[in-house]
Amino acid sequence: MPKVTIDEKVVDVPEGTNLIEAARLGGIEVPHYCYHPKLSVAGNCRMCLVEIEKQPKLQIACNTKVAEGMVVKTQNPRVEKARRSVLEFILINHPIDCPICDQAGECKLQEYYMKHDLAVSRFPIEEKVHKDKAVDLGPWVMLDMERCILCTRCVRFCQEVAEVNELCVSERGDHSTLTTFPGAKLENPYSANVVEICPVGALTNKDFRFKCRVWFLKRTESVCPGCSMGCNINIDQNEGEIHRLTPRVNEEVNEHWMCDEGRLTYKPVNQKNRLRFAKMGEKDLHPDEVLRAVREMMTGVDPNLVCGIGSAQFTNEDNYALASFLKELGSSHLFYHRFEPAHPSVDDYLIKADKNPNTKGVSTLGFKEIGGDRRFKFFFVLGALPEEALNRIALEQQKKVILFNPWDEETVHYADTLLPVGTFAETEGTFTNCQGRVQRIRAAFPPPGEGRPVWQWLTHLTRLFEKPAPNYTTAPALFLSMANQIAAFRGLDYEKIGNQGMLLKG
Amino acid sequence: MDRVLTANFDHPDVDKLPVYEGRGGYRSLKKVFSLKPEQVIEEVKSSGLRGRGGAGFGTGMKWGFVPQNSGKPIYLCVNADEGEPGTFKDRELLLRDPHRLIEGVIIASYAIRCHTAYLYLRGEFFEPYQKLEAAIREAYTKGYLGKNILGTGYDLDLHIHRGAGGYICGEETALIESLEGKRGYPRLKPPFPAVQGLFGCPTVVNNVETLSALPYILEKGAASYKKMGTEKSPGTKLFSISGPVQKPGVYEIELGYPLRKFIHEDAGGMLPGKILKAVIPGGSSVPILDASEVEQVNLDYESMNQFGTFLGSGGVIVIDEDFCLVKALKVLAKFYAHESCGQCSPCREGTGWVHKIMTRMEAGKGTPADLDLLLNLADNMTGQTICVLADSIAMPTRSYIKKFRQEFEDHVALQKCSKM
Amino acid sequence: MEFTPENKKKIEEILKRYPEGKVGRQAALLPVLRLAQEQFGYLSEEAMLTVAQVLDLSPASIYGVATFYTLFNKKPVGKYHLQVCANLSCCMEGAEKVVKHLEEKLGIVPGETTADNRFTLSEVECLAACGTGPVIQVNENYHEKIKTPEDVDRLLEKLR
Repeated sequence: MPKVTIDEKVVDVPEGTNLIEAARLGGIEVPHYCYHPKLSVAGNCRMCLVEIEKQPKLQIACNTKVAEGMVVKTQNPRVEKARRSVLEFILINHPIDCPICDQAGECKLQEYYMKHDLAVSRFPIEEKVHKDKAVDLGPWVMLDMERCILCTRCVRFCQEVAEVNELCVSERGDHSTLTTFPGAKLENPYSANVVEICPVGALTNKDFRFKCRVWFLKRTESVCPGCSMGCNINIDQNEGEIHRLTPRVNEEVNEHWMCDEGRLTYKPVNQKNRLRFAKMGEKDLHPDEVLRAVREMMTGVDPNLVCGIGSAQFTNEDNYALASFLKELGSSHLFYHRFEPAHPSVDDYLIKADKNPNTKGVSTLGFKEIGGDRRFKFFFVLGALPEEALNRIALEQQKKVILFNPWDEETVHYADTLLPVGTFAETEGTFTNCQGRVQRIRAAFPPPGEGRPVWQWLTHLTRLFEKPAPNYTTAPALFLSMANQIAAFRGLDYEKIGNQGMLLKG
Repeated sequence: MDRVLTANFDHPDVDKLPVYEGRGGYRSLKKVFSLKPEQVIEEVKSSGLRGRGGAGFGTGMKWGFVPQNSGKPIYLCVNADEGEPGTFKDRELLLRDPHRLIEGVIIASYAIRCHTAYLYLRGEFFEPYQKLEAAIREAYTKGYLGKNILGTGYDLDLHIHRGAGGYICGEETALIESLEGKRGYPRLKPPFPAVQGLFGCPTVVNNVETLSALPYILEKGAASYKKMGTEKSPGTKLFSISGPVQKPGVYEIELGYPLRKFIHEDAGGMLPGKILKAVIPGGSSVPILDASEVEQVNLDYESMNQFGTFLGSGGVIVIDEDFCLVKALKVLAKFYAHESCGQCSPCREGTGWVHKIMTRMEAGKGTPADLDLLLNLADNMTGQTICVLADSIAMPTRSYIKKFRQEFEDHVALQKCSKM
Repeated sequence: MEFTPENKKKIEEILKRYPEGKVGRQAALLPVLRLAQEQFGYLSEEAMLTVAQVLDLSPASIYGVATFYTLFNKKPVGKYHLQVCANLSCCMEGAEKVVKHLEEKLGIVPGETTADNRFTLSEVECLAACGTGPVIQVNENYHEKIKTPEDVDRLLEKLR
């Protein structure tokens, strides 16, 4: 591995590493706009100019590969002067409309200006080149042509990742403009990713625009519940309202991206029809009352008439807790249901036809797909059952359903007892994606009302049945208990899973 | 001096193959095909021929960079995208002696083992296009192009690829991009075209004039070529001269020839009543020379460098005392702003900025501070970008203001031109 | 909008000059756009889409290319496109006066077309004929040494 000296610091980096990445490995940030680790090198912003010993001209770090013994300076006066002048050029035709720009607070122009420049403008405002603002590019993206610094990250993203050339730069010189073909739309299934890779406020997310200043957002690491890929995401929320989901880097799963469909999965969390209180029939009741009623209802019931229906939409932890509870009751009848839309989107990249985040997990835990077994009378169910599942279990008046659900929906009126639980955004736990990778999701905020995790409800209930209650009082402890019981999870814990997940054995 | 490039210029029908052959055309090929490609490269190396497009890089050396073991096809691109203001020599070569260029293309292609050559022709050049098309057709018919050329087993196709308007496509990697059907964006280097050029294959890009010198060099030998010119700038070169001189036009001159003599003798001197103020010696991109420098400098690469400028494309623009340099700089600033491909921030924004300042200044609305701002911008635009287009306006800006600051200051103070 | 059978044949010939596959189809873009402009008069959005279809290239990439090059007209031009070089050597020879005279004669400014669609006036950059300026390129052909208003008038007369 070549050794290079960057700002007096010796770093050992793999052959073929460029100087931006090499510096990053040494803890040094080389400012840049056009460079992106997952895209081809364009070298057009010129922000990453650095000095390399024995080379008369400054070189762009993004297009320079390390070589043994290379000595690089990223912050001497010559480099800093070049950087300031590049930044000045980039800013002269920029509208500087930060007060009304959604990017404010996470804008590389603002950031580098504060860090490297802070100079007064030498360019008269009236001479700025004017271009179109608020151009509707497609279902997800709004373009402000004036704010664009023409780094072409978005153009390259469409070409190289989405593999649809929907964007181009038109004209030339300082009239160069980012655009689609006239009248055409940016509508590939990954289109919104251009918003995150846009280093400035040129491309903004129509779903997020003007909703919340980014500095009010709190970020929680999570996993997209939209399909079995389990793209790593951040939940950005303010006071319990989610404003956006953004992709989080995981080179083994989603690299830097997520699909547009996945970005919508937060909408039901914010919905008004959340189930806030435990219910029997139409009545809201105190949770203790509901649980006691369930206990009573179950008195003297033959365990073989009781079954648990887990869900590929719920975490491993929730499903495991259900299985444990059923075991205490003496039943080993475990089934699961999953969400199966009639025409699921699918491609050969991140979009999987299985629209459930945890199919692999729930089957690993020993749940079977719902069959035609009609003998059960008592059902403990995670999440609203689809029509088809209801037919299969031959639901009728005498049969009793205890449903754990985040929503108070028309479609769940078959449930005799409703217990409020959190959505993915309010739950701590794990999903196992289609690759067999266990990945953590975290609660961005607590569920509304009396909502609580499935396992908490069940622990409480177990006690009422005068059975030995589970020994876990937190999600990580639950996971450890599961890891002791289920071979596939053996040896794992939350710390090991970390924020990049762990592949299950076998 | 032997006329290497213009020997046929006085023969109007030499664009017809039989006439060209009658004047000794295509005779070099016999010798070329008797040599190994490496030997052709050696011959050109020892001639000291340097690229005539502007950069002046050794032609044989450039060919030598082409890897012969890549397993990919090798391409030759003829750069016929002449467009550097003040330069009009290649157009003359194309119009007046197209077969000489084709002969040169065959020599170069054979040397680098290329079997497909593209002639990137400036989109505006319609008459040259017609001449070249006809000449290439004749060359195919006579077996100088196509399969098994002159029975040697060597195959070569030559295609014309017409540009569509864009000065930057004269930059060799932008030319390659344009040939590939893309926006004419200069490429990052490395990789260099010799290794990864057209369609990702090893590629040599040579200027029309460079290639047109090859028939002479191969036929008469590198030694004869080297006898002309200076030690480091051997041979002859075409110079195009424009401005208020008696005989503007294209001249073949031995390198090392005094600029003063070229202007006052070959080009017939200044028009009556006109006094020479300054000369742009190598196309609009190079620093300007004042009248006293014009007296001392010679037309070769080294002498020009001594005076802080470049031989460039050999486009000599003579400017007289009556012509306003503020206007001259404005015209050039407009040109470079218009022709910037828009890729690199310092060029995209800088050329436009300089143009705006110059437009303001020429209209009498400049301020004294503008001059230092321009000098500062010129510094900030130098050496920061993928290609040298930004440098090409930075150099004139810096040299005009430094050498003729008084004229600029007067223009600012008077709020108009004192000359017109 | 469709290419004529004759032009379709020409496109096939053009494609033969370049390697097979996508790179070759992309390489054919400039010559095919030129052909489209010749047949359709200018590169309308429809014309560009036709090219996109024929070469199986994305419309956006064609739009980027078409707008990069000055010889591709994105709006209709008159029967005679007067392209006056305004660069340094021509400027020294009086190109500005030539443009001015043309503006007065035709009643249009650069970038405009006369109401009868006969003339479009454009200021262009160096045409590489600096020794014989001012140069006016009319459609494909160069007209050199157009120095005086009389020279301009004579040229216009020829085009009437």
